Order: sequence, then C-alpha cells, then structure tokens
Amino acid sequence: MWQCLDHVSLGFHHMLDFLLGCCQTKGRKYSRDIEDPETIAHDTSFSVSEVEALYELFKKISSAVIDDGLINKEEFKLALFKNNKKESLFADRVFDLFDIKHNNVLDFGEFARALSVFHPNASVEDKIEFAFQLYDFKQQGFIERSEVKRMVVATLAEAGMNLSDDVIENIIDKTFEEADTKHDGKIDKEEWRSLVQRHPSLLKNMTLPYLKDITTSFPSFVFHSRVEDS
Amino acid sequence: MLSRLTIFVLAQVHAAEFSFPPWFSHGARSLIERILDPNPRTRITVMQIREDDWFKKNYVPVRLYEDEDANLDDVQAVFDDTEEKYVKEQKEFIETGPSMMNAFNLIALSQGLNLAVLFDRRQDHVKRQTRFISRSEAKEILARIDAAARLMNFKVHTRNFKMRLEELTPGRTGQLSVAIEVFEVAPAFYMVEVRKAFGDILEYHKFYKDLCCHLRGIIWKSADKADDLENAQLMKAEII
Repeated sequence: MWQCLDHVSLGFHHMLDFLLGCCQTKGRKYSRDIEDPETIAHDTSFSVSEVEALYELFKKISSAVIDDGLINKEEFKLALFKNNKKESLFADRVFDLFDIKHNNVLDFGEFARALSVFHPNASVEDKIEFAFQLYDFKQQGFIERSEVKRMVVATLAEAGMNLSDDVIENIIDKTFEEADTKHDGKIDKEEWRSLVQRHPSLLKNMTLPYLKDITTSFPSFVFHSRVEDS
Repeated sequence: MLSRLTIFVLAQVHAAEFSFPPWFSHGARSLIERILDPNPRTRITVMQIREDDWFKKNYVPVRLYEDEDANLDDVQAVFDDTEEKYVKEQKEFIETGPSMMNAFNLIALSQGLNLAVLFDRRQDHVKRQTRFISRSEAKEILARIDAAARLMNFKVHTRNFKMRLEELTPGRTGQLSVAIEVFEVAPAFYMVEVRKAFGDILEYHKFYKDLCCHLRGIIWKSADKADDLENAQLMKAEII
C-alpha cells in the first residue's frame, strides 16, 4: 500500500512541476502575464536590453496609483503632467491609441509597442501614420477642420494663451490652404503625408531621443536581465 | 560603531577579495579586476578604462548637458562659420521672413503630446524650452533680444530669425548657451521659442526669467501664467 501512495505522490509532484513549468521559466522575474521581452524586441525597434529597461519605467508608472502591473488613465496622466486631475484632450487621445485592446488599461506589451513608434530608429512611415491617427479624433480617415480648431484652441488654452477667434481662424485658413490640396475641407492621409514631407518639424514630437539612452536611464534592468553579457 | 559585517566587508575590500557571478564574461572580469585594485599605483586609470576593449564595445561617449536637437543645426552653422565664409554668404543672402508656424506646429507644442516627460527623471519638472508670443514686428523682436542679451553679458549670433546666445563669462556650472527662434503664427503674431542648447538647467531657468524681465515691453502673452502676472505688475509699476 505504501508503494501505491509513493507512486501517487510522485505523480502529484510531476503534475505540480508541469503546472508550474507552464507559468515560470527559470530565472525569470516577470509575472506570468508579462510578455517575453524577446517577443516584444522582435516586434519593435527596441533591443532586448532596451525592452528590459523600458519595463523598469513601466513598473514605476504602473504602480503609482494601483500596483497591478497595468497603467490606467490616471497613472498615465500622473506620469505626463505630474497631476492626475488635469483634463487633456491629447493625453486621452494618446492613451486611446496606445490601448490597442480597448480595455482602458495599458499592459506592458501595449506600452512598449506604442512607444516603439517614437524610437529614433522607427520608420518615418510609422510616425506619419501614428500622428495622423492622433489628430483624427473621430477616426474617420481624415482630419476635419473642426477637429483642427478644437486642438488649436485646447493647446492655446493649456498655455494660458487665448487668441481671438479671428486669429485662430486665420491660422487654420493658412494651414488648410497649404495642406488641403484637394480643397474638400479635410486633410486625408495623402495630404498629411505630403504636408509632413514639406515640414518635417511637424513630426518632431513623434521621436523621443531618450529611448536610445533608456538603458543608461534605467540601469537597474540588469538585475533581471536575461541577456548574455558579451 | 562598526558592525562585524561592515568590518568583514571592509577587510574583503582591502584584500581585494571578491568573486564574480558565473555569467560575467572574460572581458568584464578582467576590467573589473583592474578597477578593484587596492593599490592606487597599479590601479587602472580612467584613460586606460577608455582604452579597454570590453569597455569600448558599443560605447557612445556621453556629452554632458548637451541637448540633441536637429533644429540647432542652422544656428550652430552661424557659430561655426569662419569670417571668410560668412562674408561670402552675406552677399548671396536673400532675406526671408520668419518661418511660419502652422496649426499642426502649434498643436505639437501641447504638453499632452510631448511624451519626453515620461522619461524625465527630474522631479522638479523644470522646462528646457519656453516660449512667448509677441505682437511687435519680427525685426524689432530680434533687436530687443539682441540688446537684452548683450546687457546680460552674452555673445549674440543671428542668422535669419534664429539666434544663438553664449555666456561670455561662464560660471561655476559651465557655459550657458541658448537658442532662440522667431516664428510667425499669424499676421502680427509671433511665437518666440527659447531653448537651452548647452549648460545647467537651473542657470537656464534663471536666465529665462531675467530675459523676460528685459523683454517685458514686447511680450504679449507668455506660456507661463506666473510670468504674465509678473509682467503686468511690473508694467503697472512703470506707469506709476
């Protein structure tokens, strides 16, 4: 009988090992819900070390209000404005674009993939696309004049600068004169692309040079690193 | 009172007793061994560290305080010009107005669209770039900035509507260098962007406050509400 029990307990242990094996691999300090850094590195412009360093930043931001390994909108605004009460048209839009799964939180995979577009090595085409989607609030495939006006007013208000309606209309008129080559009151992707090619500075905020130095800004990633030191 | 543990560790340091985790490469080990040499005479120097093969792998030297910004190229060119080249170019110089800022340029200035701050380890959130609106003539703006800068002991280089200001007598924190550009937003509305090119951020912040003091006559609205209030109070004081 004891032999029987031994076999059973051995079987039980094997089963436990198997179950645990699914969720952990040796040496990994990530919870089982975190994507493998190598997968993320493969899908993005980041190296594996950069993904690991980025994870340190993610942990910092995602634990600010609720320590659940996810960034909610409040934590996002806190990181961006040092103030979670600030209402911002743009922060909301950026968050929505990052939130591919549309579940109002950003997991590390979404965070890294979205930030990848901002890497200096990311393709200009990706940046053009992301910027276009950012400004296309209603996601109609084109940027309407009313959307542009809303954004200009919001930007100026944020800076405490309230220009008169005349002046704002004038600014938008001139912009559309140049951008709206088809003269239909909207800026479609093609028109956006050619505008950006004429004015590369429009994509300036689509590149974060800091991403190149992220391994030096967050050096503690080495404690969890799986990368072989060469 | 030093604990036994501390004494133990100090003894290890003194005797250079340490071991490496198994994943440390050969190159890393050899460099660290040379660094952790208790004898200052035989210990590796910083110069020698820079020559080490393992250290040099993928190493990009850090440039302290310098801000990377592609837009500074033109302004840098002004500074780099030799006199000869400058004189020659003057003759071919065709005057163009300030660059236009269109609606999207303005929108891109919004705080919500500038994710760089996510990586900003500084908790005090001091801005490296500041701007104000002026309703004076573009040329007038340039002239006033030039005058203010000279008063503040800065050398001024101007090309078109871009300026580079350099501190003449660098302080303890190094030389402060500032880039300024004037953009046209709408007729009689100019956006003046002031950006730190090189130097200590707190020195820059002080500089900007002083500059705004000198320029209060031409500043119509500044991005900083506190600045506006200060300006208004100063202007009131002047009238009285």
